[in-house]
Amino acid sequence: MTAMIGFAKVFWLEIVSLVRSKTLAMLAVASVAWMFAAPFIAKGDGTADGAREMFVRYSLGGAFAILLVSLLAAATGSLARERAAKRLQLTMVRPVNHMLVALAKTAALTLSGAAVLALCCLLMPFAPGVGDGVLGRQCSHVLKPRLPSAREEARDMYDAYMADPETPAAVKKAKKSVVLRLLENRAIDHYQTIATNDTVTWHFASAETAAEAEGLAVRIRFTNQFDVRQDVRGELRIGPLSGAVSNITQAVVTVPLSRRAAEADVAGAADGLSFSNMGSSSLMLRPRKDIDLLVPADSFAWNLARAYLEMVSILAIAVAFGVFLGASLGRPVALFVAIVTLVVGEISPSVIEQYPDELETSVADRIGLVLTRFAAEVTRPVAALQPLGRLASDECVEPRETARVVLMDFVAVPLALALLAGLVLPRKQDGL
Amino acid sequence: MNDSEDIVRLESVEKTFRDFWLRPTVKAVDGLSLSVRKGEVFGLLGPNGSGKSTTIKMILGLLSPSAGDVRLFGLPPRAIEARRKLGYLPELSYLHPFLTAKETLRYYAGLCGLKSGEAKERTAQLLEMVGLADVAGRPVGGFSKGMARRVSLASALIGRPELLVLDEPTSGLDPVSTKEVKTLVKALAANGMTVLTTSHLLADAEDICDRVMILDHGKSVAEGRVSELGTSLEDFFLAKVGDASEFRLAPFLG
Repeated sequence: MTAMIGFAKVFWLEIVSLVRSKTLAMLAVASVAWMFAAPFIAKGDGTADGAREMFVRYSLGGAFAILLVSLLAAATGSLARERAAKRLQLTMVRPVNHMLVALAKTAALTLSGAAVLALCCLLMPFAPGVGDGVLGRQCSHVLKPRLPSAREEARDMYDAYMADPETPAAVKKAKKSVVLRLLENRAIDHYQTIATNDTVTWHFASAETAAEAEGLAVRIRFTNQFDVRQDVRGELRIGPLSGAVSNITQAVVTVPLSRRAAEADVAGAADGLSFSNMGSSSLMLRPRKDIDLLVPADSFAWNLARAYLEMVSILAIAVAFGVFLGASLGRPVALFVAIVTLVVGEISPSVIEQYPDELETSVADRIGLVLTRFAAEVTRPVAALQPLGRLASDECVEPRETARVVLMDFVAVPLALALLAGLVLPRKQDGL
Repeated sequence: MNDSEDIVRLESVEKTFRDFWLRPTVKAVDGLSLSVRKGEVFGLLGPNGSGKSTTIKMILGLLSPSAGDVRLFGLPPRAIEARRKLGYLPELSYLHPFLTAKETLRYYAGLCGLKSGEAKERTAQLLEMVGLADVAGRPVGGFSKGMARRVSLASALIGRPELLVLDEPTSGLDPVSTKEVKTLVKALAANGMTVLTTSHLLADAEDICDRVMILDHGKSVAEGRVSELGTSLEDFFLAKVGDASEFRLAPFLG
């Protein structure tokens, strides 16, 4: 009980400081102002769908970025500045657990960010070009073809690849883990060729249930040139549903599937999606990347709520990290480390994608790649979360994934970081 | 001496500060042993840089000793049970500028685990006691140094501590406030509270302390009861640590 009163007091103090220093008000004004200004800078394709997508990606995304960076900066100063001003020692000599001090500050900053983010989400229907009809839009679960994982495929390919006389000598000399990573990247981009008049079938988890759903659709990505894909013709079938593919003008097409009672005798397999190539040329698709089965889910409003929870979880983990850095380091160093970590976390996945292996690079590049890969792995819980991307594409932010993110990033990791901060705090006070 | 009555006990305590590379830079406290008994007012005196504040911080658990043992109520100073019985007035008033005087006291009352009703009552009593009841709703960021000092003193007393640690308690106070603080400390001691104080002002220490220890270069150079010194505390102090021998005035005086 005493501990809870102490926690509540530190929490309250942090909120009062944010409110009375006008930090929270400035944060809210900056986020909302950006949200409403961004549509005038980043314009969509003129359609309502385009406006909504641009709004989610750039307006809401920009407001979230403002919040993330500001709260991270505030979090690094939360303990560090109090220590520098010697106010912290007055808290440290009281009978309050140091971990709870760090946790209360994390909770207060996260709640402040969550409040501003909630305001941004609530104002979304009033944004230019979006409209209040957006909340009723339907989003879809995205099912991927059921295939062995890219890692499993890489393991299966390894022996044959290393025995192949055409495999470069440099690869044969490389460590197994490096070659496996190389093969894994290949497996992800593995193309499947569908010859003219040929039919392929991809199996999906819970496809039979999905086939009964109204509003089922298939999304196909074409990486080939426009003049090639213009000639694509074919038919998609799953159970009693089918859809025609023709006149492809965009790189990504969504084909709605509908019931064809008259052709029930030629219905597709109930557990798989088949595609028959009726065009004049072969077609190449990457099943892991290019084929999605879209199963109707709930409304945009619910999707926004789940995306909101994931974004708040990202804020929580960033704030907890900032508070931990502030407990361990002086404010300027903590802020520098926090910003560098954020930037590295953001760019490392694209660096790894562009330079996937270290076979033909210099020693310096190899060291850089190892460090980048490490940074990507460490920051994956934050960097890998893309709720806004899914929200913008009308893809369902899956409840199970949201629950996992909330449990890990909102609860477990901030608790662990607060515990560490509580351990470090008295030692840092000691001048170490 | 009965050990069980020692509220604070230091045994052969050393504190060496180190730089980033862990190389020793200064030995602030060197083999210090002392004990503060229940109900007494103990003064830790010494010139600047003698190790008083470092000793106080080790007693408070804000610093850990490099060697030796520090006990507060028979416990390590960082133990929550020990901190529950502690009140601390730092040398300067490190207050949260956005909080009012009342909120400041309610905040520290919460940290001490006082429930809402008790915290409210105690806050009103202490604000009345330090003469700030009329300005209880004003942010402390706008307070004068003396007013801020009074808020800090009230904060130190909010949790009904058994040990009150005062670091230069009369620093920055006018003569009237200084007298009030001294009267308050005497009254608290008369009610059984143990007080550990540091001071540069020997007259103040002489007025309020039962026992003093004089530190110089991190070591104890004298310890005893004020009533048994046989001379003024100032003369005793100067005899132990020298009289401004570091100042070389002759060249400036021609």
